[in-house]
Amino acid sequence: MNAHAFFIIVILAVSGSLKASAIEKEPGKIAFFEKSIRPLLAKHCYKCHSAAKGEDKGGLTLDTQSGWMDGGDSGPALVPGKVSESLIIEAVEQHDPDFAMPPKYKLSDLEIVNLKKWVAMGAPDPRDGKPAKAAPSAIDIAAGRKFWSFQPVIAPVLPEAPDHKWVNDPIDRFILAKQGGKGIVPVSDADRETLIRRVTYDLVGLPPTPEEIRAFREDPASDREALARIVDRLLASEHFGERWARHWLDIVRYGESMGRTRNFPFPYAWKYRDYVIAAFNKDKPYDRFLTEQLAGDLLPDGDAEAENEAKIATGFLALGSMDLNERDKEKFKLDVIDDQIDVTGRAFMALTTGCARCHDHKFDPIPTTDYYAMAGIFGSTDTLSGYGSRQGGGNKMNRAALISLKDPESSRPVVVEVTKPGAREIKLQKQLTKLKKEQGQLIEALKNFRKANQGGAGKVSNDSETPFNAQRAQQRIKQIKGQVNRLQKQVNNLANERKQGAGLSGNLAMGVRDSKTITNCKVRIRGDADNHGAEVARGVPQVLTKGKQPDLSKDASGRLELARWLSNPSHPLTARVMVNRVWHHLFGTGIVRTVDNFGQSGERPSHPELLDHLAARFTGEMNWSVKKLIRAMMLSHSYRLASEYRESNHAMDPDNRLFWRANVRRLEAEALRDAMMLVAGNLKLEPAEGSLVEKIKPGEIGRNSSAPVVASFSHRSVYLPIVRNYVPEFLQVFDFAEPASVIGRRDITTVSTQALYLLNDQFVIDQSRAAAKRLLNGGKLAGYEEQINGAYLLALGRSPSGSELTEARRYIESASENGQSKVEALGGMIQALFASAEFRYAL
Amino acid sequence: MNKFPLRLSRRDVLSTTSCGFGYLALKGLLGGEAGAAGFRNPLSERPSHFPARAKRVIFMFMQGGPSHLETFDHKPELINSGGKKKDGKGLLAPRYSFQPTGKSGLMISEIYPHLAKHADDLCLLNGMHTTSPAHPQATIALHTGSQNFVRPSVGAWITYGLGTVNQDLPGFVTINPLGRLGGAQNYGPAFLPASYQGTKLTVGNSMANISNSVFSDKEQRRQIDLVQSMNRGMLERVGVNSQIEGVIQSYELAYRMQSAVPGVMDLKKEPAKVRELYGVDNKVTSNFGTQCLMARRLAEAGVRFIQVTHNGWDQHNGLSTKLKNNALATDQPIAALITDLKERGMLEDTLLVWGGEFGRSPEGQNQDGRRHNNRGYSMWMAGGGIKGGIRYGATDPLGGTAVEDKMHTHDLHATILHLMGLDHTKLTYRYAGRDFRLTDVYGEVAQKIIS
Repeated sequence: MNAHAFFIIVILAVSGSLKASAIEKEPGKIAFFEKSIRPLLAKHCYKCHSAAKGEDKGGLTLDTQSGWMDGGDSGPALVPGKVSESLIIEAVEQHDPDFAMPPKYKLSDLEIVNLKKWVAMGAPDPRDGKPAKAAPSAIDIAAGRKFWSFQPVIAPVLPEAPDHKWVNDPIDRFILAKQGGKGIVPVSDADRETLIRRVTYDLVGLPPTPEEIRAFREDPASDREALARIVDRLLASEHFGERWARHWLDIVRYGESMGRTRNFPFPYAWKYRDYVIAAFNKDKPYDRFLTEQLAGDLLPDGDAEAENEAKIATGFLALGSMDLNERDKEKFKLDVIDDQIDVTGRAFMALTTGCARCHDHKFDPIPTTDYYAMAGIFGSTDTLSGYGSRQGGGNKMNRAALISLKDPESSRPVVVEVTKPGAREIKLQKQLTKLKKEQGQLIEALKNFRKANQGGAGKVSNDSETPFNAQRAQQRIKQIKGQVNRLQKQVNNLANERKQGAGLSGNLAMGVRDSKTITNCKVRIRGDADNHGAEVARGVPQVLTKGKQPDLSKDASGRLELARWLSNPSHPLTARVMVNRVWHHLFGTGIVRTVDNFGQSGERPSHPELLDHLAARFTGEMNWSVKKLIRAMMLSHSYRLASEYRESNHAMDPDNRLFWRANVRRLEAEALRDAMMLVAGNLKLEPAEGSLVEKIKPGEIGRNSSAPVVASFSHRSVYLPIVRNYVPEFLQVFDFAEPASVIGRRDITTVSTQALYLLNDQFVIDQSRAAAKRLLNGGKLAGYEEQINGAYLLALGRSPSGSELTEARRYIESASENGQSKVEALGGMIQALFASAEFRYAL
Repeated sequence: MNKFPLRLSRRDVLSTTSCGFGYLALKGLLGGEAGAAGFRNPLSERPSHFPARAKRVIFMFMQGGPSHLETFDHKPELINSGGKKKDGKGLLAPRYSFQPTGKSGLMISEIYPHLAKHADDLCLLNGMHTTSPAHPQATIALHTGSQNFVRPSVGAWITYGLGTVNQDLPGFVTINPLGRLGGAQNYGPAFLPASYQGTKLTVGNSMANISNSVFSDKEQRRQIDLVQSMNRGMLERVGVNSQIEGVIQSYELAYRMQSAVPGVMDLKKEPAKVRELYGVDNKVTSNFGTQCLMARRLAEAGVRFIQVTHNGWDQHNGLSTKLKNNALATDQPIAALITDLKERGMLEDTLLVWGGEFGRSPEGQNQDGRRHNNRGYSMWMAGGGIKGGIRYGATDPLGGTAVEDKMHTHDLHATILHLMGLDHTKLTYRYAGRDFRLTDVYGEVAQKIIS
């Protein structure tokens, strides 16, 4: 039988739907495998694909039958009987250079024919044995949907409250119900002094003034009514946005420079910061807030101001800290996409979708294909941070790689003049001019020489005495050419650096826009940019859909559809995650304590029904209003509790997960700095315009530019420049959120560097003395007692106890005896107040 | 209104907790910070995974990519190949000669005459390689194990794993660190708690806020007493609270640090002989000598991880002068450090690590320079648990690529952790829902270099 006839018979056999296992047993076919295929595989493939050798490049082994059946990252290596569907054939034919095997050469024509023949005959293979790795675990999406946080939000029935008088808001019913089950009884209410301090810090991040405290204390209304008035006043204050924007900026890894390998400044990032502050102040509904950040550029046009605002919001996607030194353009792009998937997943859904970049998610039902479905959306988006990968246009600010806003009137125009050349540039330019002149002269002379010496004489026939050496002149010209090129490059670089800082005007911002071409993304096997797998249709994580993906337009990236899908009230995570974040900030811990992780590896909610109740109210009656949400929580009875200890409760619930008392909360770095400066009378309460980052040299920070100096900056801390790797010291010492990561819950450390800062730093000493001067001003508070009382009221919002008064007085007297001035002595005592735990915590 | 219905004394509070007062008092005496209600000093000493060979690390970072071909990787074939072409590029013969040194006969470049005397203590790592040939990525990878993401630095991981011996000092110190190429990221804690961040010291300047410019010690103590009195009052009011307990402890530690740190930093206390040994008062060796002497004092005082830095090893040109100058500035101080540690019996449990982010190419550049080379270069280790007088790993005959006993940055990290008694696969921290490691999913301990 000739080979051709044999081939036909095999095809007939296969089409007769004989199974591979049946064929295997036929000795002729096995013989073919042994003669032509086994040696071929051993020679060309085992080096990288052998279970015995422990080599499984791409997850594929070829030295057992189960090895190719299970296949590798791209799927089974072959389909018995189906040549055209078999990856191994596609690979050896090498039509696609990205999917070609063996990697460095091609099999002979005969070998390819044999391999096809073998596949066509059903791939008989007598080799048993186990492949090196376990079969990939398929994620069961349907089972994954049963996880609590992926279940739809259903407003639960309100539990019966044992004590109706205690209930101020339905929230309290859920809290009481859980406590009652454990025999826990909530502690009494906080006194008004404690309460107003807590509320004021929570809403505006500042301490209440002594007048506000007195008014609240003396308000004859009920606690609830009096508190409601305070809450409403503070919610309406413009300082509310400054406080709550900072919580959001932590989550979106806000920074004003690139960080990482090449730390270039982001001179327009502050516009996003101001956008967030304004959004909280106007109580922009959260669904709209979310949509603008993901797709503000794609929203229907409003007036120029609204349009600009929505575009600035997309800065959310462009603020990531990227490795500008990355030379591989493709890898750079995938890294940008990864940052965007990570921040989108964690900020809005508290899901670590980024984990699925290299492999299926280890804990959550998010296969790699879901990651690349989202990657397609962001991959069809141009990210405009002002910088690109090193190959893609250099790592200097590129104005074209920014968003241009419509109406320059709506934001402050900052036009920077082109600066004059520096000393070095002038010097280099002079050298350059000189060399060019010499070059010109030499070329001219050489030309003349050649003309004059067509006959072949050795000297220039002009009146010059010196002999002209043509060879030397040519050498010199060559030498000069190199020098000129080098110098020209240096001069150009210096000039470009100057010009880049210039002409920047206020109508630019960071953000995104849809790419010209909308494309799906291919899976990158093991996250390797060059290792392409199957293309995945753009979409959203399957586990969060009911099997139906949102309809994505072919002509747009899909960001708008993604935002609409996320902000749909039926999305199981969006509202739950946001109400939990707000709860975390008001109660000290979240209902889900891992506020950025609602997945398997995160914690479970302490009060799942309460979480759903709040989520349902937030999307329903509150219409996504964050202010209404905050108000409801703050006017609940649970919020108003004291922070006192109770043994019987503590024994049952030492972590206070049932909220039987208020958590003592450490004030954030910003609140501490602002409070000290406010007490000292040094805080400028009006918003800062722009950012100090606008004013620094537009070069690499730490190399040819420096981070702004903040020593004399006296606006609120939210306006401090957040240069990555150069976060202002005060913020850093007090656990500021690392500005390259998504952080919904800051670290709370109590390290001695904080103590050293409060005891010794000049900033604290200056604020303490300024506060002392303010108290002593005019000599109105003549006696020690009045001074100490004034200091306590300003710093702690209460009067000192008898023993506190005695101790403070003793301190001041003794300091005065040691020769300290009045300001120094009282200042030292105020510094002790600043350093005290009570000042640093909200009770 | 009854403001504090349940008044508890500090003693009540402490005795109600599982540890009780006795425990706190004992820890207080020992200088620990463990206290009531689970307050745990993040820097208190923790047991290693298995017996450690070294108690502390001194990492000498040579920034820029020092040429292994002129320092610690002897390549006779390259000497004879100078001027020849390889892949169209001219090879450059080593600019300095090598001599066999010590009993081991280890080949060390002539530019390290002082260090050569300690040849029998050194383990040359000649098969180093790393992922990136660019300064920023390779520098960040050397310090944190990752060039793609912001990750905790080696010193932060070790302090997280082992805590620190001396509670009056930080556990991780870096002297004169770089401001660029990742800057603070290179000694940062990333997602680890802030306590594990490296404390920056500079030559001629101590720690930030370590002294008070306006009060005498006595005056400040009175001020601290006032603060602590208020803090204790607050603790009584709120009852069990580990954070406030932590605040109280932090002031006591701060006060102790104020007296301990300047003492450790005061090099004037060193005898003239020692200052001379390190070259502290010699212009050429002063900066690095001071760093090395500071490192020895910190090591002696119980600091866990100390980094010293010397800049300017990026010789694209001027190998024959600049490299030699670098050696002049560092050779004597490094040798002094080894001598000094030996004399104090500390070399056996101090791990010394020397090296840069990568090495240089056998091919020349600009007549007297070399290009970056991440495929093959050298570092060395000495001290705690290290076999002395050996070469481990090798590059090809021209010194371009590591070919034998290759050691990647991840392997280096795994080995350092191993010597400190930590299993690099088990030293993990859970962040964003997964367990992170210094070595990610890589790293092999170089068993052959361990004595």
